[in-house]
Amino acid sequence: MTAASAPLVFVVDDDASVRKSLGRLIKTAGYEAEGFASVGEFLARRPYDGPCCLVLDVRMPGLTGLDLQEALRAAGQRLSIVFITGYRDVPVSVKAMKGGAVDFLTKPVDEAVLLAAIRQAVARTQADRRQLARLIEVQARIKTLTPREAGVFALVVTGMLNKQIGAALGIGEKTVKVHRARVMEKMRAGSLAELVRLAGEASVIAAGS
Amino acid sequence: MSGDWVVWQVAVGAVFILSLLLLAIGLILERAWRRRAEVLLGERLRFETLLSEQVATFSRISTADVDREIHRALRRIADLLAVDWGNLTEYSDDSRTARVTHWWVADGVGPQPEAIGFEEIPWVVTRLRRGELVRFSRIEELPEGDATVDRETYRRLGVKSQVAVPLTVEGAVVGALAFSTVGTERAWRDEFVQRLHLLGDVFAHTLSRRRSEMEGQRLRQDLAHVGRVSTMGELTASLAHELNQPLTAILSNAQAAQRLLVSDKADLAEIREILGDIVEDDKRAGEVIHRLRGFLKKSNTELAALDIGELVGQVARLVSSDAIIRNVAIRLDLAPGLPPVCGDRVQLLQVILNLLMNGLDAMRESGEVERTLVLRTESGGPAIVVVAVEDSGVGIDEADLDHVFHAFYTTKPDGLGMGLAIARSIVEAHGGHLEARNNPAGGATFSFTLPVIKGTP
Repeated sequence: MTAASAPLVFVVDDDASVRKSLGRLIKTAGYEAEGFASVGEFLARRPYDGPCCLVLDVRMPGLTGLDLQEALRAAGQRLSIVFITGYRDVPVSVKAMKGGAVDFLTKPVDEAVLLAAIRQAVARTQADRRQLARLIEVQARIKTLTPREAGVFALVVTGMLNKQIGAALGIGEKTVKVHRARVMEKMRAGSLAELVRLAGEASVIAAGS
Repeated sequence: MSGDWVVWQVAVGAVFILSLLLLAIGLILERAWRRRAEVLLGERLRFETLLSEQVATFSRISTADVDREIHRALRRIADLLAVDWGNLTEYSDDSRTARVTHWWVADGVGPQPEAIGFEEIPWVVTRLRRGELVRFSRIEELPEGDATVDRETYRRLGVKSQVAVPLTVEGAVVGALAFSTVGTERAWRDEFVQRLHLLGDVFAHTLSRRRSEMEGQRLRQDLAHVGRVSTMGELTASLAHELNQPLTAILSNAQAAQRLLVSDKADLAEIREILGDIVEDDKRAGEVIHRLRGFLKKSNTELAALDIGELVGQVARLVSSDAIIRNVAIRLDLAPGLPPVCGDRVQLLQVILNLLMNGLDAMRESGEVERTLVLRTESGGPAIVVVAVEDSGVGIDEADLDHVFHAFYTTKPDGLGMGLAIARSIVEAHGGHLEARNNPAGGATFSFTLPVIKGTP
């Protein structure tokens, strides 16, 4: 793994020696590591587009790890988190996991457990970002549709025949056919099945935003 | 006839001369008597003066000075009476030995025994324990038979004469005050012996007062220890965290080093650096434990000159993790250059910690978003420093203000109600005052004063 392609692990912990030692351990596993003493310090960093994840302490002076998780979600950033904590605090861990954390580990953390969690988190960040990019792409395609095409699109994917669509929209079957071909073209769908899948992804966007 | 007259003349002359002689002798004797009376009177006067001085001294003496003053009193009395040994003995609880607690030995006289077994002077001890005095000018005055063992013992020790009075506290004999001559025999005058009883009572009273004061102090220390242990119990979570941090760093560092060693890029300089960090973190963990033990140790009061700001800072560090958990910001507002106070480090740490923990607890119940606890030190006058703990919590119910310092009074569901009572007793033992008041803007302030060490600005 070259330095350029090595995933970057952000370590946010207020304890300097914990930060340093975790960074060291993470580097021995072939990652790059960057340490931050507080949530504020991390938020001041420019967002990173490459493969990465976050190793985050829960309890810190000022903003906590949970606050950061919330802030990232509010900002729509896809960055998977491995929480590390000195306390076995069940309500907090439940909250963190519900918020999408990859894992919630108790200090002291064993290398095997930590590195496995980091590997998973990096992969999830990548997957989440790919999904997000895909959603944005699909949404962009939908935006190119005219209102009439959008109406046809919405009905086509429900399985209605052209004739039924025409009746529903008060237009001729032939016109429906033309619009349908335009939709297929603009959505870059090779088949009806693919169009349905894209519509499904788009509705995820609609539900998520 | 003339012969008769001559005889008469001679006889009258002789009688006259004899009378003169007798008169002279009488005058001389009278003067000697008077001088002796004057000497006796002077000696008695000096003894009386000494006694009244001792009574005055011991009536207002502080516990710390008792030993020194008793020793000084023994020396002055022994000097005045020209005796060789003066000692104060305390009878052991099992009534088997008399331990010499205070003694004085004249120059050029051998040392006294440190303790003497009751079986070595059975007759003397029996009398003393009955509350009677013992006096002998010569060893032979001790009754043969009954006091044969005593005679032997005194001969062995070289004691020629002695006077001893029992020390009684509330009717019980707890020891004896004795003066002895070693080289020579001597008589002990009644008036002196009687007065010695008075001195014995003064000593006995002083020693018993000191004993009860020390028992009170030990009780206070035990109570304080209990208070510290329970306070520490509340801090367990944050202490676990403080230990966890270095342990986490040690584990990660050690595992990083292991990984480096099995990989082909083992860099000796880096391994050395890692080992250095491990050592540092281990020391840090050790310090946490050391601090904890230092705080929990059950020790006697040790007075020292203390920087109150430093103590406040130490407590703030101790609870820093706890404050983070509770989402409370602790702010230190320490006046620079405060003079040192005299006190027991552990006990004063306990007071500050107790007030701080109370403040944190008070804010637990408050809905305030801004949770700040201010620790302040300031000058409270020319020779007084003030330590204040100001919280932004729920404050104290006006009805409770009078009771918060009472033992077993608590408003916390899991409280013992001892913390503030102990804190107040510690502060007062240090010559200060602890008080509570509500802040105009909400929350409460607990503050205590401490006198600064005399002679510091």
